[in-house]
Amino acid sequence: MELRQDRMTHKERLQALLNYQKPDRVPIFGMASTFYMINCGHTLTELQTDPQKAFNAMQWSCEQYNWQPLWEHLAHTVLGSWDFGAKMKMPDSPYAMTIAVETNAVQTEDDVWNLRMPDSKTAGAIPKRIEFCRLQDKAGWPVVFFSRSPFNMGADICGVQQFARWLVRKPQLCDQLIRMALEHSLNVLQYWVDTFGAEKVVYMMSSPSEANQIFSPKHVQKYALPYHREFHQRMRAMGVNKFMFHICGEQNLNLPYLAEFASSADGWSHPSILSFGHEVDLEDAAKYFPDDIIMGNVEPAIFQAGTSQQAYEHCRMCLEKGRKIRGGFILAPGCALPPKSPPYNAWMMTKAVNDFGWYE
Amino acid sequence: MPSEERTQELIKGLYDAVVDMDEEAAADLSRTILREGIDVYQAVVNGLTAAMEKVGELYTSQEYFVPELLLCSDALYAGLDILRPHIKADETETKGQIVIGVVEGDIHDIGKNLVKIMFDAAGWTVHDLGKDVKLERFAEEQQRTKADIVALSALMTTSMVAIPKVIQMVKAQDPNIAVIVGGAPLTREIARSYGADGYADNAGEAVAETTNMLNQLKKSAS
Repeated sequence: MELRQDRMTHKERLQALLNYQKPDRVPIFGMASTFYMINCGHTLTELQTDPQKAFNAMQWSCEQYNWQPLWEHLAHTVLGSWDFGAKMKMPDSPYAMTIAVETNAVQTEDDVWNLRMPDSKTAGAIPKRIEFCRLQDKAGWPVVFFSRSPFNMGADICGVQQFARWLVRKPQLCDQLIRMALEHSLNVLQYWVDTFGAEKVVYMMSSPSEANQIFSPKHVQKYALPYHREFHQRMRAMGVNKFMFHICGEQNLNLPYLAEFASSADGWSHPSILSFGHEVDLEDAAKYFPDDIIMGNVEPAIFQAGTSQQAYEHCRMCLEKGRKIRGGFILAPGCALPPKSPPYNAWMMTKAVNDFGWYE
Repeated sequence: MPSEERTQELIKGLYDAVVDMDEEAAADLSRTILREGIDVYQAVVNGLTAAMEKVGELYTSQEYFVPELLLCSDALYAGLDILRPHIKADETETKGQIVIGVVEGDIHDIGKNLVKIMFDAAGWTVHDLGKDVKLERFAEEQQRTKADIVALSALMTTSMVAIPKVIQMVKAQDPNIAVIVGGAPLTREIARSYGADGYADNAGEAVAETTNMLNQLKKSAS
């Protein structure tokens, strides 16, 4: 098949969205750092250990599929339990996707009070992540700082099950962990700002543990949102205004609270890019966040377990809703593109945008 | 011999303690039940098990979430640990046996743990293999325990592809063993395409789905 000719570069297309202007067509965001590695013949362990390979794989795969390379990030998150002393495990099984926690740094109440702040330049994966961002910078791209929300990172430090129990019985322990996560995130962000300059930094946040598959909207409102508020106040004060938020998983019950926060004076700057899991209807997302760019939300498992026709049809359905979104739309999987998706299924995003994603 | 009224009062108290996440009350009431000679089996079935069925409903309807479910389970086990050793031998026949685990490559075990709780509460014998379980371990454990059902969980798209391999291994040993699967990236359609006999969207639904599967198995065997 012959693809229609783009009339904008990736940079121009993204900039048009950020200016609330219609681009030539819907951009495509792969959310595919693991897929890129497999696509280029690398291992998922190398994604963690070899920033140059990860960067090349991202660049080349985006070129191959004609996907948006800007604002793409290196999985896994910059920060997390590793920084606070968890014992980690590289993806050593053919079925593992990413680095995983083997033993949490915090297991008891005493551990919480004895926990120390990590070094903001050397802890965990920070040295490898900044190396990756240096490559983005060298290529003239924005540098993407990707991390979990403070609530999510707090939960990761002790493990979600322990955190869930404490949240009801001893919330002061959770507050302490979230506070430390918040301070650590901002300390490391300062390192990024000092290295690259605030104007180049894009902050990408994700919050899978805030999903209603785990926590109630009441708990998210009470314990997660105040930290989101403080985080954005302080991030803005550092001069970082570009924000991308992956609202991961089933978060329908949280949307009213997030929307209220987003539209408040303390909310994130607009337009930010908001990415949603397939559990959220794109029309609902657009209704709640009219001033932001909506991104999503093809069910990831379809790319891996479905047929190419199914993947194409899911992309078409997303495009049908997405193209009407006033604040702008980016086609993407609802979460990370499965690394072992058949390449032809992944290409269905490109094909569907070619067929249904043009604005005129 | 305690009166019927007193029996019902204590069992209702036990039920409420679990639904209200009150671990201490569940333990106290369980001790009282033993002291007053209340039928232990009845207390477990109508107090603890019935309460966890209610908790499962509250979870499915999104009135309870993971924190509440975990705390209810703490109350459940506080009661169960005291009462279970006193159930008479002829009353201890289990509903069934299940081998459960998170497949290799995946360390996300909250969902599996919640499902385990629901099976424990419903009177099943659960053989929990844990998380990141080597594929062959499921079939081995099924053979060792002669369990009726194997339950597999995966949260990652990379680990979900291990599920059909495990199903193949289990069925190669005994095609009559039923397999149920669950986890965020899975759907009923994918489960079917992997050769699973059942699928549950959440912990609240898992016991009912598996009980149906077991009944089907028994029916086809008879």
